Amino acid sequence: MASHFSGVLKLTDLDDFITPSQECVKPVKLEKKPGQSVTKIQIEDDGSYFQINQDGGKQKLEKAKITLNDCLACSGCITSAESVLIAQQSQEEIYKVLRNNKLASATEQMVVVVSVSPQSRASLAARFGMSSSETGRRLTSFFKGLGVHHVFDTGFSRTFSLLESQQEFLERFQRREQDKTALPMLTSSCPGWVCYAEKTHGEFILPYISTTRSPQQMMGSLVKDYFAGKQGLNPRQIYHVAVMPCYDKKLEASRPDFYLDEEESREVDLVITSGEVLSMLEQEKVILNEVEMAPLDELFSNMSGCGNELLSHAGGGSGGYLHHVFIHTAKQLFGEEVKELTYKTLKNKDFQEVTLEKDGVVLLRFATSYGFRNIQNLVQKLKRGKSPYHFVEVMACPSGSLNGGGQLKALPNQTSKELLQQVEQIYMADMPSIPEEDARVAELYRSWLQGVGEERAKQLLRTQYHGVEKISNGLIIKW
Amino acid sequence: MTDARLVLAERFNAHPDSRCWHVAWNPAGTLMASCGGDRAIRIWGKEGDSWKCLSVLQDGHQRTVRRVAWSPCGTYLASASFDATTCIWKKKQDDFECLTTLEGHENEVKCVTWAPSGNLLATCSRDKSVWVWEVDEEDEYECVTVINSHTQDVKHVVWHPTQELLASASYDNNICVYKEEDDDWECKATLEGHTSTVWSLTFDPSGQRLASCSDDRTVKIWKCQNLEGSGVCPCATVEDAFGSWTCVCTLSGFHGRTVYDIAWCRLTGALVTACGDDGVRVFKEDVTADPDQPTFSLAAHVSKAHSQDVNCVVWNPKEAGLLASCSDNGEIALWRYQEDDE
Repeated sequence: MASHFSGVLKLTDLDDFITPSQECVKPVKLEKKPGQSVTKIQIEDDGSYFQINQDGGKQKLEKAKITLNDCLACSGCITSAESVLIAQQSQEEIYKVLRNNKLASATEQMVVVVSVSPQSRASLAARFGMSSSETGRRLTSFFKGLGVHHVFDTGFSRTFSLLESQQEFLERFQRREQDKTALPMLTSSCPGWVCYAEKTHGEFILPYISTTRSPQQMMGSLVKDYFAGKQGLNPRQIYHVAVMPCYDKKLEASRPDFYLDEEESREVDLVITSGEVLSMLEQEKVILNEVEMAPLDELFSNMSGCGNELLSHAGGGSGGYLHHVFIHTAKQLFGEEVKELTYKTLKNKDFQEVTLEKDGVVLLRFATSYGFRNIQNLVQKLKRGKSPYHFVEVMACPSGSLNGGGQLKALPNQTSKELLQQVEQIYMADMPSIPEEDARVAELYRSWLQGVGEERAKQLLRTQYHGVEKISNGLIIKW
Repeated sequence: MTDARLVLAERFNAHPDSRCWHVAWNPAGTLMASCGGDRAIRIWGKEGDSWKCLSVLQDGHQRTVRRVAWSPCGTYLASASFDATTCIWKKKQDDFECLTTLEGHENEVKCVTWAPSGNLLATCSRDKSVWVWEVDEEDEYECVTVINSHTQDVKHVVWHPTQELLASASYDNNICVYKEEDDDWECKATLEGHTSTVWSLTFDPSGQRLASCSDDRTVKIWKCQNLEGSGVCPCATVEDAFGSWTCVCTLSGFHGRTVYDIAWCRLTGALVTACGDDGVRVFKEDVTADPDQPTFSLAAHVSKAHSQDVNCVVWNPKEAGLLASCSDNGEIALWRYQEDDE
């Protein structure tokens, strides 16, 4: 099976042949029923196991199952998580929920929410020859036609990610003298990079990684906390689906950090990729540019005052973290109004630098580092204490998020490079919004989060990372 | 064919109680570096009539050192280890100091090799990836690419003798050929044909042909149909000049077990193999044959060259016919290959 994960994750497979069914090293916890002494286990013709009790009664034994969480918490392998993932995080799951909704009584129905990323919109827009906003409206119509209740835009939750990143950077910059791991701040919105860092570099690199949640998980908080509260729903009554440009986002949604223990609910229940949305369209025999346009869901959409056009953020297809943190810091700390950023290409196009200089002194040195080779050099420089940067926007995929592994593939008559250019153009064509000027977001900070930097905001807008200890036993050496 | 034409010159225990994995001549042909399961690298030089250990490089690696490679200038030595790192050593008078350790591979590094320019270094690993590193004037190394074209353990990497073209061999039975293509390295061709692990590769002196050896007990000769400047590519499906490689010859029936290593002599054109049946064999090309259908004959064979698996064979770069081999029994042997008409 071809792996869909980003190259970074593919590399962390520790052995050549592991699949969960074969050599998985993760110990499995089985529910043991107390008070029974087993006398016999019988294997049926179909391969199922039965326990024969002393009284002669038969009881079917449960098969040991590896969940995505088990895979994530283990350093054994990662690509094997693929088969687990396909079962737990595929578009079939949303169909299941929608089908159940049709059969269930009104009180048992789930409220189904789909949050679409701007990168996925751009990918679908390129295929169907539309603008990003038009794609947003037609996708809204398509999903609602299937029985989805709300269609949101993670561009809206990204405003929170950008504001929190700006805030976090200022905090880190101010404690840089006392805390050697305060800088450089490495962005955290790319789950491929975060997973790689946790599994490979553990405690060394994790303190540098921004604790700000990604737009996907910001939306998780908005939907399962704010929205659920407003609607008077238990988070469990909401089924939240995110549409993302990347398979690694499925791993992110499955992190225990984003599981509401009390409510027994995941903040994002399912992640489907742009490509999987295309499969859904094909399955429904729907051509997206022929679907009626529906109005955008205003509650959580980053859109213009008139409500017609979706807005974007400046600073490129990976979210614009560097751009926004740079401009904000330049103003807050050095009183400099930066209108335009000048990116200097270093070793390759995926490694660029932006500096703020005053009287010949470099005040800020930021970089973008996309793709595995640049991540490697960044990590090695950090280890040697030779990284000159205050901030690095890190993405596992070359060219960043618009080039994610979950995006639509090029058609036979175009190269993937041409397609990427087209997607970038569509993405950039949207008017940028300025996070600090978003009145609705500011209002949510006041009413929902009780202010910037408060405990509640920390809990709902930040996250944490966990180093994975390496397994060093029992590997068969192959010369 | 007689054994007499591959004459043993010297034999010594290089890595006692351990395997000797690899031996490499420096570019001047005056020194040898060897490495083994004892985690050490040893430098050998000739004193009088025999080879002596000049220095032992320890403390560089935590596990087996699988491979050593001299830089084209002869000043640097790179060592690849099962501890997942590659060390770069610099020669200082008679000794070597560890300049830097290249980290990044997930697990065992299997091979390391310098490009002819000396500015690029390639490594490969059980993690299935091939890495290219760039060296700057200050001896700083940066990763320029990580390529995941193989589906299994990558055993060997080798540079083209004149162009910046890289080839790799893998447990997935395939050979991949890479070239830099605007801003990044890409796999330009996958050579399929071996039916088991490909262990080693060697370019012929012109760089037009590549020889591979395998666990399937064969040696294959691959010819690039269109290296730059040598005419139009005859194969319509191939988009690139380096993409068109065809197998023009298979040597089968000669080797009793896995063929672990192969080397093409830059001076004589002879091809030598190291085999798991403990033998060392030299093949000679029939110069009158059609270049697109070359034929090779077994010119010399030492059936028990070592008492255990032969891991490596290397031709001396300056002295025609001088050959070094090393084995699982920890020994290095030096051989002189003499042709009929000499």
